[in-house]
Amino acid sequence: MTTRVAINESVEIAYERAFEEHWTDVFRFALAWTNEWTAAEDLAQESFLRLWNQRGRLDWTRPVLPWLLVATRRLATDRFRALKRRLSAPTHAAAIDTDPALRARWLDVCAAMDELSSLERTALVMTALQGATYDEAADLLGTTAGALRAAVSRARAKLETA
Amino acid sequence: MPTDRTNQVLDEFSALTNAARRPDSPAQRVAIRSRFPVATLSGAGLVVAALAVAGILLGRPGATTTVGASPSSPATAAATASPSAAAVATVGPSQVPVVIATPVPTRTPTPTVGPCDVAVLSARITAWEGAAGNRIATVTLKNTGSTTCSLQSTDRPQLVDRAGTVLIDGAAPTSRAVIQLAAGAVVSTLVDASNGCGPNPVPPVHLTFVLADGRSFDAAPLSPTDATVPPCNSSPGTPGSIAMHPWSH
Repeated sequence: MTTRVAINESVEIAYERAFEEHWTDVFRFALAWTNEWTAAEDLAQESFLRLWNQRGRLDWTRPVLPWLLVATRRLATDRFRALKRRLSAPTHAAAIDTDPALRARWLDVCAAMDELSSLERTALVMTALQGATYDEAADLLGTTAGALRAAVSRARAKLETA
Repeated sequence: MPTDRTNQVLDEFSALTNAARRPDSPAQRVAIRSRFPVATLSGAGLVVAALAVAGILLGRPGATTTVGASPSSPATAAATASPSAAAVATVGPSQVPVVIATPVPTRTPTPTVGPCDVAVLSARITAWEGAAGNRIATVTLKNTGSTTCSLQSTDRPQLVDRAGTVLIDGAAPTSRAVIQLAAGAVVSTLVDASNGCGPNPVPPVHLTFVLADGRSFDAAPLSPTDATVPPCNSSPGTPGSIAMHPWSH
């Protein structure tokens, strides 16, 4: 019993640490994929909820961020996701909704990013902002390094004319 | 290499996401949140309903909008001088139908798709999730029959326990839209229940879908011991609410 408690405690600590260290990364990834602020917040939350639900089956000695990002991508493409969002009631306003200055800045970025596909946005953000290699980003996005490289190239070209 | 414009967008994207407010605590049993306005939700529902109706119109030539006339009645025969008239509108049973659209004529009669026999409908709850005082069930439904049949897109959902007690009773749907289920087809929906202030359920709980004609079918419980009911958000004994989204492929 003592051992089990200790294990559970260490898993919970690892989970808390993952949240502290990676929430912004997961949110940024979700935002790149969706280009929608509130949906990205929901996705990040759901990814961590999924991590919590799977905590007993994970190898916590391995990096958890890739797991979170893959979970986020899968959640984002879940065909039921839109319905779920529409069924649930709002619980609070996002900062983006209550801060006009922040919202104005986001709308500018959003408009520029909207010219890109989900893959192009995410590929660009992962490689240019999060420091992922083409191979790493391709793995997480379920594509090939060649396709990812092409997506990044297209993203840059589109942003230049956005 | 990124140029100025790309750098500018990326820098701003990075700054905004770095400044994004992080939730106060990690997600554990947190709610699924949404800030979609009601108007958007209603619009989404209308779009789903419209698509369902469109699907029926396209998939069932001449079979949907004739009111008060059987396929072999004189009124229908008159309307279908072009046998494959796609959309026949009648204001009332005694009025002459008006052909709105006539695609390429064909002599092949279109088989009528009848309502599903509830005995061939196999439904089950595949998940329960929490959301802001609500409980949302994901339900899948399969037509185990050998023919295509039609089903109301929305039914009257009920949350029922093993003893047969209706814990939460939904309202009859106002939409008359139907969805066609091919043999073996699987559709799904989400059922949203809230305010479970009734007696403690006898597990397992399941969902019942009551059709407009009074027939019903059950969705099997998530597990043999599942006792999911939404939290009580008001005083004990007050009725809860339960609603469903249209069945969709």
